[in-house]
Amino acid sequence: MSRIIKAKTLDGQPVEFVDEIIGQGGMKDVYFSPDRSYVVGFFRDKQPAHNRDRLITIAGTFRERIYNQTGGDYWKNVYCWPTGVVEHEGRLGVVTPTYLKHFFFEHGSVRNDFLGIKGKEKEGKWFASASNQNRFLDPRERGDWRNYLRICILIARAIRRMHAAGLAHSDLSYKNVLVDPVGGNASVIDIDGLVVPGKFPPDVVGTPDFIAPEVVSTSHLAKDDAGRKLPSIQTDRHALSVLIYMYLLYRHPLRGDKVHDPDPQRDELLGMGERALFVEHPTDASNRIRPENLRPQDLPWKDTAKIPYTCTGPYLSPLFQRAFITGLAAPMDRPTADDWEAALVRTVDLLQPCQNPSCVQKWYVFDNSHRPSCPFCGRPYHGRLPVLNLYSSRKEGQFRPDNHRLMVYSNQSLFAWHVNRNVFPNERLTDDQKRRVGYFVQHQGAWYLVNERLPDLTDVGTKTPIPPGGKVELTDGRQLLFSREDGGRLAVVQIAEGH
Amino acid sequence: MRGEPIQAVNVGLQTMVSGLRQDPYALESVHLCVITFDIEAREVLPLTPLESVQLPEIVVPQSGATMLGAGLELLIERVDRDVIRNTSDRKGDWRPLLFIMTDGSPSDLAAFAAAVPEVLRRGFGNIIGCAAGPKAKMEYLQQLTSNVVSLDTTDSNTFSSFFRWVSASVASGSSSAGVSQSVSLPPPPPEVQVVV
Repeated sequence: MSRIIKAKTLDGQPVEFVDEIIGQGGMKDVYFSPDRSYVVGFFRDKQPAHNRDRLITIAGTFRERIYNQTGGDYWKNVYCWPTGVVEHEGRLGVVTPTYLKHFFFEHGSVRNDFLGIKGKEKEGKWFASASNQNRFLDPRERGDWRNYLRICILIARAIRRMHAAGLAHSDLSYKNVLVDPVGGNASVIDIDGLVVPGKFPPDVVGTPDFIAPEVVSTSHLAKDDAGRKLPSIQTDRHALSVLIYMYLLYRHPLRGDKVHDPDPQRDELLGMGERALFVEHPTDASNRIRPENLRPQDLPWKDTAKIPYTCTGPYLSPLFQRAFITGLAAPMDRPTADDWEAALVRTVDLLQPCQNPSCVQKWYVFDNSHRPSCPFCGRPYHGRLPVLNLYSSRKEGQFRPDNHRLMVYSNQSLFAWHVNRNVFPNERLTDDQKRRVGYFVQHQGAWYLVNERLPDLTDVGTKTPIPPGGKVELTDGRQLLFSREDGGRLAVVQIAEGH
Repeated sequence: MRGEPIQAVNVGLQTMVSGLRQDPYALESVHLCVITFDIEAREVLPLTPLESVQLPEIVVPQSGATMLGAGLELLIERVDRDVIRNTSDRKGDWRPLLFIMTDGSPSDLAAFAAAVPEVLRRGFGNIIGCAAGPKAKMEYLQQLTSNVVSLDTTDSNTFSSFFRWVSASVASGSSSAGVSQSVSLPPPPPEVQVVV
């Protein structure tokens, strides 16, 4: 039986841990608390004074700044944020909550978990890779595409909140984000390296695949050289864009087939640094992933002609362009975490369930500009499908397009954020705003919106109110006023034809 | 090497392979090749992607020569044949990592001396020498690399922590890199002493 050690955090809270290492990270040895509700990670090496201060501030001021606000509880599931700092027998340690249960594999890998990963942490790389997805993960662990969108929303949100507080994560990667595609959960971990410009400098340059080009191309310079670029909010933005691209498309945006140098190490330095080039660059095709070099396990994901980034829809595509075309060399052009969150949330409204029951991704972004089909399995969409184009009023009686549309499917819900442009689905939603206000059904070939909680719902053409409990058929061109409140929206129905 | 030490090496290799297979990054990129050298050099595992690796039991004769030079010659041949180099229009493999473990000193000194510069010319990402047990001579390994570790004892505990460290070194390509770029290998466990 291992000994239980009692200690106190620097701010006086009692801490206990079982004297047995349960895991080792790059810099720390990790111990469980007796009830396993938290862990204590002790640095193996003596830490410089600024790191001690950094940890104290992260577990103290920064934590309070984020958690002690309205909606603060929301962040408990999205971050694994340090709660205290301990010093024990000369070693510096951080107290962090234990990862939630859904971040450990329940089934693990195929063939009765032949890799033996059941019970291990769901590190993001298992999922952000075509070959790991295709060959190794148990299908029950893989999740569907809608959940990957949700995961991206949570990550973007977590980073947006950090950046809003002036903090840079500095080492964002699939190693430092746990994901649960089965339940659509994500949690940012390893928060103890947060960077504050001028106050707490970065310790790491990041993790390969996620390091911003300017950091890679200046990595040969000394740490205090004026030209040296180190992790910051802007480099976090690059890492975030890469993460989102990888979780939605299972490939890396810069790892194409262009060879920059015969030496692989130098080739890597150039390809991820000064000569970084988007594999789907619209005019420069020199870094395309060549389909003839692909292994079967990489397909179809690494075939960018088959699954181009544009299949992520009209809100995400321009952000990928900014991130990987102009933003590689111009950090100011990179989409912010806020941009990503807004675009991802809107993209959820464009999803359609795939009509192929054995489609692994199950959901896709419906594109009504041409013959719509699932980009992942190829199944064409059959039938008629209402699309609600949303408008909102800035002035009484005048409606302007919101560049926001809602694709309808059976049992699709209507929420407060569809009804009013001033409501945004994020951590500030009230419990009442989380409940749906209406839903859509198909009945005998016709589509209906059933009103549950919209007092103002009106068919504008006939000036007929549709009270809660009532329903209205969705026909081409019909205009529905959702709300008369400030920011209230008008929906114009468009009927898209499938095959 | 015989008896408990070679058993421990076999167990250590097994543990290393199953440990690496639990790393999603290694699973996508790592290939392994095992060459043994005793009275002759043998490729007991040709370069194989991690997920298909089936380790053979490594058996060694009771006594005899340690043909490290022949082992290096075979290594050079295999590297030249199996490692795909970058060409102007095709990406090749990463720089390979080389781990050499011996409990003695080379018997074929001339071959060894001739092979060393050839090995160094092959562009390994890193070479790690491991002198296992009291009779292992470090000075030969040091001709190949400045990264030489020594294992005082050759019991299963020592080998198991050595192979854990090897796995961590192999997987380190995917972990956070420090701001001051000096460290490319994780620190070895206490049982493994770095020879300076």
